[in-house]
Amino acid sequence: MAALVRLSSVCHRGVSPLLFRTSSLIRPLAIQKKDHDCPYLISAKIHATPSNYTGSGSKAASLHWTGERILSIVLLGMAPMAYYFPGPAVDYSLAAALTLHGHWGLGQVLTDYVHGDFKIKMANAGLFILSTVTFAGLCYFNYHDVGICKAVALLWSK
Amino acid sequence: MVARQGLCSSRSQFGILYRHAVPMGTTAKEEMNKFWTKNTRLNRPVSPHISIYQWSVPMMMSISHRGTGVALSSGISAFALAALVLPESYPYYLDLIHSMSFGPQFLAFSKFALAFPVAYHTFNGIRHLMWDVGKGFKIPEIYRSGYVVIALTILTSIGLAAV
Repeated sequence: MAALVRLSSVCHRGVSPLLFRTSSLIRPLAIQKKDHDCPYLISAKIHATPSNYTGSGSKAASLHWTGERILSIVLLGMAPMAYYFPGPAVDYSLAAALTLHGHWGLGQVLTDYVHGDFKIKMANAGLFILSTVTFAGLCYFNYHDVGICKAVALLWSK
Repeated sequence: MVARQGLCSSRSQFGILYRHAVPMGTTAKEEMNKFWTKNTRLNRPVSPHISIYQWSVPMMMSISHRGTGVALSSGISAFALAALVLPESYPYYLDLIHSMSFGPQFLAFSKFALAFPVAYHTFNGIRHLMWDVGKGFKIPEIYRSGYVVIALTILTSIGLAAV
């Protein structure tokens, strides 16, 4: 008659087990055999992308996130470095770290508020130009002028 | 098929029933784009949200983190642009501003105004990194760490402005 079928069999298809952890499915035995021939009789549309379905699962977004955090920690460490060991090495490292941290941060802001393929593309292009000019300007300042560390020191000495 | 579905769903423990899960043919990104093009096309009105929801300290701190970040980034970009465009050197312009300044309070205030967003963004950034390793998510902890960040920010900014 009715057979209790645990949904764990469905879980192996990659659906989040959290949804069905304690649920059991009761279905008539008569249908069971037919399911083997045609597994997708009744289906709910969900987004389930187990690794065996996706051709090339990209870890790009995840790695980007980790990179953002690592850069933040590196930038944090640069503050005492700039205070105790001011000089060209810290100046250029600071220029690079600040620009990239700002670039990625503004990128997240754009992702949150800008929608639509064209607008996203334009906004990101504009951001890229801004970040490039920023980095160029900071490097120029480091080379031709006093440099970032000295600039802050001078500003604070007044 | 419907009858079979009816047979099953009447026995399910929960409202929703998934016999078998079928992945959709579109990616999440495609689905998002579809939503936004339809949304813009229909010009749907937006329900009041930030205008009616009661503001909380964590909410204000979160948007301030974003605000200080954007402001600092813009400041750095403006500085870099100025470095490329302006003819004279940094010490020259610094002396120029110093000669125009309206007294020591002006200088102390400017130092405070510069130090404050840097300090806030830095301390709140550390708070964020703590969350990223999974620490401090309980609501009392959120508020406590938030108040610590605010206190440290004010103290640091005053301390730096006094130097």
